[in-house]
Amino acid sequence: MISDVLAKMQAAAENPQALKERYLAEGRKIVLTAPVYTPAEIIHSMGLVPMGAWGGDTQLNAAKKYYPAFLCAIIQSITELGMRGVYDGVSAILVPSLCDSLKVLGENWKYAVPEIPFIPMTYPQNRKPEYALDFTVAGYRRVIRDLEQITGSSFSEERLKESMALYNEHNALMRQVSAELAAHPEITAAERSAIFKSAWFLCREEHCGLCRELLDELKNSSAGTEKKIPVAVTGILADAPGLLKILDENGLQIVADDVAAESRQYRTDSVIGEDALYSLARKFSARNCCSVLYDPEKKRVEALVKTAKAAGARGVLMILTKFCDPEEFDYPLIRRACTAAGLPFVSIETDRQMENHEQAATIIETFRDMMED
Amino acid sequence: MSEEVRKPRPAPDPASAKYKLNMIAKQAYDDVAEAKKRGELIGWCASNFPVEIPETLGLHVCYPENQAAGIAARGGGERMCSIAEGMGYSNDICAYARISLAYASGAEAEEQPMPLPDYVLCCSNICSCMIKWYENLSRELQIPMIMIDIPFNPDYEVSDAETAYIRNQFLDAIAQLEKITGKKWSWDRYQEVMEISGRTSRAWLAATAMARYVPSPFNGFDLLNHMAVMVTARGKPEAAEAMETLLKEYEENHNKGISTYRGEEQHRIMFEGIACWPWLRVTSRGLRDRGINMVTTIYADAFGFIYEDFDGMCRAYAKVPNAINLEYARDKRIRLCQDNHVEGLLVHTNRSCKLWSGFMNEMSRQIGAACEIPVVSFDGDQADPRNFSEAQYDTRVQGLTEIMQSRKEA
Repeated sequence: MISDVLAKMQAAAENPQALKERYLAEGRKIVLTAPVYTPAEIIHSMGLVPMGAWGGDTQLNAAKKYYPAFLCAIIQSITELGMRGVYDGVSAILVPSLCDSLKVLGENWKYAVPEIPFIPMTYPQNRKPEYALDFTVAGYRRVIRDLEQITGSSFSEERLKESMALYNEHNALMRQVSAELAAHPEITAAERSAIFKSAWFLCREEHCGLCRELLDELKNSSAGTEKKIPVAVTGILADAPGLLKILDENGLQIVADDVAAESRQYRTDSVIGEDALYSLARKFSARNCCSVLYDPEKKRVEALVKTAKAAGARGVLMILTKFCDPEEFDYPLIRRACTAAGLPFVSIETDRQMENHEQAATIIETFRDMMED
Repeated sequence: MSEEVRKPRPAPDPASAKYKLNMIAKQAYDDVAEAKKRGELIGWCASNFPVEIPETLGLHVCYPENQAAGIAARGGGERMCSIAEGMGYSNDICAYARISLAYASGAEAEEQPMPLPDYVLCCSNICSCMIKWYENLSRELQIPMIMIDIPFNPDYEVSDAETAYIRNQFLDAIAQLEKITGKKWSWDRYQEVMEISGRTSRAWLAATAMARYVPSPFNGFDLLNHMAVMVTARGKPEAAEAMETLLKEYEENHNKGISTYRGEEQHRIMFEGIACWPWLRVTSRGLRDRGINMVTTIYADAFGFIYEDFDGMCRAYAKVPNAINLEYARDKRIRLCQDNHVEGLLVHTNRSCKLWSGFMNEMSRQIGAACEIPVVSFDGDQADPRNFSEAQYDTRVQGLTEIMQSRKEA
């Protein structure tokens, strides 16, 4: 039953706290991974559980001691949750410095949540030249050293290769799930979001199993007869329940996404060579089309249009995280490219404290009308 | 507060540091405009891009951050920001970037014109926002982008791995620029530029360190004007000479017991953050009216680029403000406060700069505690005048003054 698999994924997406307690009760150690890319394979290979920390929909109170109001709600809410004790019991947080706000998160974390050690991961933005791989590997070695000291776990190249193979397998499954979902309008935007979100909290092995089950059932079930409007979604996050509900109420079906917390994670595989760390560095080097990665040709913009068209999307929705510089700089170019390609385009600005969705509902209704014309 | 009555200023003395420094800044724009007219390729350059590279290659570059500050200081900030917002840029984006992207799109700015570039030189040691800004310039103008990535360093020291990464990029950037412009790199010339840059830096550090005297022989707002030369022209002999003149003047001021700070210096503060260029006069007057001299800023330390060799240069560019962790940034400021007998810290929470303002709350708390000085912040912006409230600024500065005064009386 599709509903059974989805229920498990939804439970994980909605209550990562319960999963955290379960892992800790099993005697496992957890390492939080902050947006957008981290070497989760290293954490996994050391027998630790990586769990995504992308903040939550919550009011900001304690975090205001550290941040001015104009910093993005993702990093503010991660700090808020840390200060409130939501992450109590985890061993460390790994934060990459891929945007200015993430740099700030790491620096503030040391003082706001001193009981959970901060491990930095410094990636090169000029990531294509061979010499950049050395720098990435130096960053990985520092992460390994910190993890060994903090958790007592040990690292081995062979185990890393196994983890990279598992992560490749998961990537492939997530790509297949995303493609298959396009043929299933009966799966709601909220359910689709839960599939992706649960991947941040469940062990890779467990999520792979659920994805395989889901794929089997999707392939064996006939698509619903409901007529929905296919759209592509882009942005950092697309998991706000209120917003997803509006998409569902307006009969919009997400047939492709370029969302940082969703499909951007699964586009690039590791090519596993002799040296595991260099292979993992090559994976980072091969990543493209993302607002937090140096992209002078703005390949992301063309790639988004191409992805939307290939998936049969009739419009593009940009979910713009408030105060997110990387996305805000790309926005005018994306808007122009979509319009030039004949794809209706709208954007909705969100943050983690959004309670009133009336404006979003109006925008989505207009968007629907634009696509129906 | 009453309106300031502006007196006619006497003609500047051509032998003065102020005149020389202003001329260098002006000449830089003129030189680039002339080069463009001659058909040479000209570049736009990020302020913390290693100036040694274009200087050694003999390239003509100008600085969008400097232009944006100039436009904002002369009243054009809101107009240019609004144009960028009309293009789709959020008003949450750095105002320098908005002004620059508006200008690159063809909007006129009589306040500080400069020719459009044939290539852009970006360096990420100031912020990641700079990468996005220059990506858009490169893409919109269809010109090459040379990017030196100097990542934010979470550690206190610059690692060998980071130094190697930066060194390789410097060499790559040189090769790319040779190809684009046809100019040739000379290590002999680089050696000269390095020595001149060191000479300029030593004079700058010595001049700004004159604030250790009480009263200070200069008004700290002078530094905001002079730093442009440190950023853009450090490698030029005329900059070294002008900075040495500045040092000499400050020494003379100290010996004579005079200062460029007008009035009696009753309190000494450190100013934290980029200046509020659209409200420079207001922010300056708010201090001066209360007998406050802003004796130091992080710029005093930041632009002293002294190094011995190429790797030393790589490490120096990894130690600029905004590329360093909280502890290193804090300790630099504590030293400045202690060396210059600072009695209070005034923090500009700059809406344009998420990185600078993002951990300032914690850092300024630590500085305040270490130096036992009061810390007060105000909201503002480096170039968008809409993000500043004169009333709030006045209230906050008044509060700071009262605390400093009561401590003196205690």
